[in-house]
Amino acid sequence: MKANREIRKLGNRAIASLLTALLLMTATAFAQKSKPAAKPAAAQAEQARAIVLRGGKLLTITHGAIENGVLVMENGKITAVGAADSVQVPKNARIIDVTGMTVYPGLIDSETQLGLTEISLDTTTNDLEETSDAIMPHMHVYDAFHAESELIPVTRMNGVTNAIVAPATRDTLPGQDSFVQLDGKSSQEMLLVRDIAMPLNFTGAQRRNESFEKAKFPQTRMGMAAQLRQVFIDAQDYAQKFPDYDKKAADWEKDKKGDKPSPPKRDLKLEALLPYLEGKRPVVLAAEEPSDLQVALGLAREFRLKVILNHVSHSQILLDQIAATQLPVIVGPIYETPKDNERYDSVYKLPAELAKRGVKIAFASYDSHNVRNLPYQAGYAVAFGLSHEEAMKALTMNPAEIWGVADQLGSLDPGKTANVVVADGDPLELKTDVKRVFIAGREVPLESRQTRLRDQYGK
Amino acid sequence: MRHPRALFLLCLLFLAAGTLAAQQPATHNEVLIKNGTILTITHGTIQNGSIYIKDGKIVAVGQGVEAPPTAQVIDATGKFVMPGIIDSHSHVALDDDVNEATSPIVPQMMMEDAFQYTDKAIYHSLAGGVTTSLLLHGSANMIGGQAVVIKHKYGLGRDQMLFPGAPRSIKFASGENPKRVYGSRQQMPSTRMGNFAVQRQALQEAREYMRDWDAYEAKAKAGDKDAKPPKRDLKLEALADILRGKFLVQIHCYRADEFLTEMSMAREFGYKIRAFHHALEMYKVADKVAAEGIGIATFADWWGYKHEAFDAIPWNAVLSMRKGVRVAIKSDSNDFARRLNQEAAKAIRYGGATEDEALRMITLNPAWIVGVDDRVGSLDVGKDADISIWNHHPLSSYALVDQVLIDGDVYFDRSLPGYGMTHYKEGQ
Repeated sequence: MKANREIRKLGNRAIASLLTALLLMTATAFAQKSKPAAKPAAAQAEQARAIVLRGGKLLTITHGAIENGVLVMENGKITAVGAADSVQVPKNARIIDVTGMTVYPGLIDSETQLGLTEISLDTTTNDLEETSDAIMPHMHVYDAFHAESELIPVTRMNGVTNAIVAPATRDTLPGQDSFVQLDGKSSQEMLLVRDIAMPLNFTGAQRRNESFEKAKFPQTRMGMAAQLRQVFIDAQDYAQKFPDYDKKAADWEKDKKGDKPSPPKRDLKLEALLPYLEGKRPVVLAAEEPSDLQVALGLAREFRLKVILNHVSHSQILLDQIAATQLPVIVGPIYETPKDNERYDSVYKLPAELAKRGVKIAFASYDSHNVRNLPYQAGYAVAFGLSHEEAMKALTMNPAEIWGVADQLGSLDPGKTANVVVADGDPLELKTDVKRVFIAGREVPLESRQTRLRDQYGK
Repeated sequence: MRHPRALFLLCLLFLAAGTLAAQQPATHNEVLIKNGTILTITHGTIQNGSIYIKDGKIVAVGQGVEAPPTAQVIDATGKFVMPGIIDSHSHVALDDDVNEATSPIVPQMMMEDAFQYTDKAIYHSLAGGVTTSLLLHGSANMIGGQAVVIKHKYGLGRDQMLFPGAPRSIKFASGENPKRVYGSRQQMPSTRMGNFAVQRQALQEAREYMRDWDAYEAKAKAGDKDAKPPKRDLKLEALADILRGKFLVQIHCYRADEFLTEMSMAREFGYKIRAFHHALEMYKVADKVAAEGIGIATFADWWGYKHEAFDAIPWNAVLSMRKGVRVAIKSDSNDFARRLNQEAAKAIRYGGATEDEALRMITLNPAWIVGVDDRVGSLDVGKDADISIWNHHPLSSYALVDQVLIDGDVYFDRSLPGYGMTHYKEGQ
């Protein structure tokens, strides 16, 4: 409502294009959301008391591993990181001995459907995507994100603390992603960045060709491309209507001759596309096959979209070209089965092959119930040639950079949000047990519906 | 066509050549896998151990095992050697023919008739160390079709991939799937009571079919020349074979109450259940199921995809095992089938299984479920030489399969270019 009023005011005053207005609003909204939400007194006191993790091996991500390290968290932030003898421990701190443990930043999953589904086959629990039309950029996953989902505590148990929540992928433009933190009393607290990016799916799976009788456009890849091109042009035309109107209105004010011009009718669908057409926010471009990837990249160039690549699972022949674009890639899932003409390990090897060419990669589970298996995917990529260091980065710092939150997340560095994981071994090993998870400096109990069932029946 | 006969002969020759090539892979009568860490499954780990294979069978396992100089030598120094992985719940290579979902009782279906032996998915899981799979009918039916057991000898002909002499298994299903499939068509069953009523009715008809045949055979035996044999019915014959104990009964079943109902129905009709598949709520009633000697083929951590999977917990495998249930981790997916070693490793993460216990869940235990544990599933003298060789401990995230042998012959070798296969030729 407030947004409506603001836009009308802007139009009447003729001071700026609608685009700028929208961007300002987004910036304001972001600033508001970034402010820590009010917390109950007890939680505040708990957070205020410093927590010290002492004696563990710290995988800092940005400056190597520190054996026998010390990490200090205060007021939800990391305040000190270093070797045992180099860090001053605050008075009255809660000191936790983590000797023999590995300490690392919370993992970031670059595509999930967390909070949008509870039981896959039960449609009443699903808010995965709006399939009434293939072009739905005005769908915001934050409107559906269910903070109390039983899936979220299950996700935390392997150290995933942040995730991109994306709509499912049957629409070419299914809506806009949000970036969440996996702890909080409400969705308000957990949604760190709303509308952080917009997926553009061009994998061939989006074609609406269920049957010739009930066929819906687009049935083909050319249909999908034409539809996308048209809607982008419509959005550009739409954006132009507002400065045009402002000019007309200003002219009319001068002599008041004829009818007073009326402002253009607002269109939320087209409006949603504008920040992306302006290159202010990234489009997550999903393609698997080389031909699809090239078409999608062509569209992106044509409309000057800011791109994060997604999947590229079967585009091995384009790896050098992908590297030349210098675009980051959300890679995987590496469990995608190979095509008949591909060797068994062609997809498993992708992260290593991309990293070797200098591409910034990030992992994603593309899952909801088993987002917890994210580190194992990275581990398997290591088996197929990715360095352990790169694999850890692709779960932490790389996604933090790709999603524009590297000042807050992605490494063990002073000043960052205290999302910290303590495990009894290598984070990427299947046998490793995560012992503690801290999110914004609060130790989150590793309890879930699943541990409760285990404890109830497992005696 | 001017020379139809010549063309025919040419075709015949061509076919014969193809068959010949498929039938005569470059087999080695004798193989020595040397100096590896041998994970035997049944008798612990042997450091610097060797395995001597002759004519496709394991002849010796241990330290200081020798072989004649003519034997092919595979150097396993620094490597881990374990039995080939057994997948006790697979639908690999069945194309879209998994479910004959036109009736809730279809025991006359033979999965062998749908086995698409050229499916590359067989190779994908071979490259993950799988050597034997139980190919089951789908779960749309209370009583589904008859399974086929294959060895992953990718590149060979269809019949050469069938596991010789494997016992017959039949698939049952319960719970949401049958009631959803038929309920959505306004047919019975649409509820769990409908499910079990349909199953009970079918088994009752089988009893009557057996009684008719028994009566006829008794008359015929007594010399009654007028005795007329009842009409043969493939469906009822298969059902009768269940009651005669000729099948290993493999039941898709999720919920605790349904395990108990299935068990009481088996008692009522006098057949044995071999294993519950999926069995995600087994941890709730494991002691009762263990007492009947029934195994489970379950997922490590898959959950929440439907209501009856919402109480799944990743500790299920180990909690059930501790109560005495024989536990297998299975794929039920062409994807998981490629990395069952990783799924088994989760039994260590969730519940603290030992490495031996975890490995048993993808070797000897599934072999028992399939009924071939006397033939495969461990590195013991006399067993088929179905062996996977790994560059790290197979329960590590970092483990890759280097080589896979089936019946003593190498079928996959990661170091080879192209697909890494020894018996497959492009365009085959």
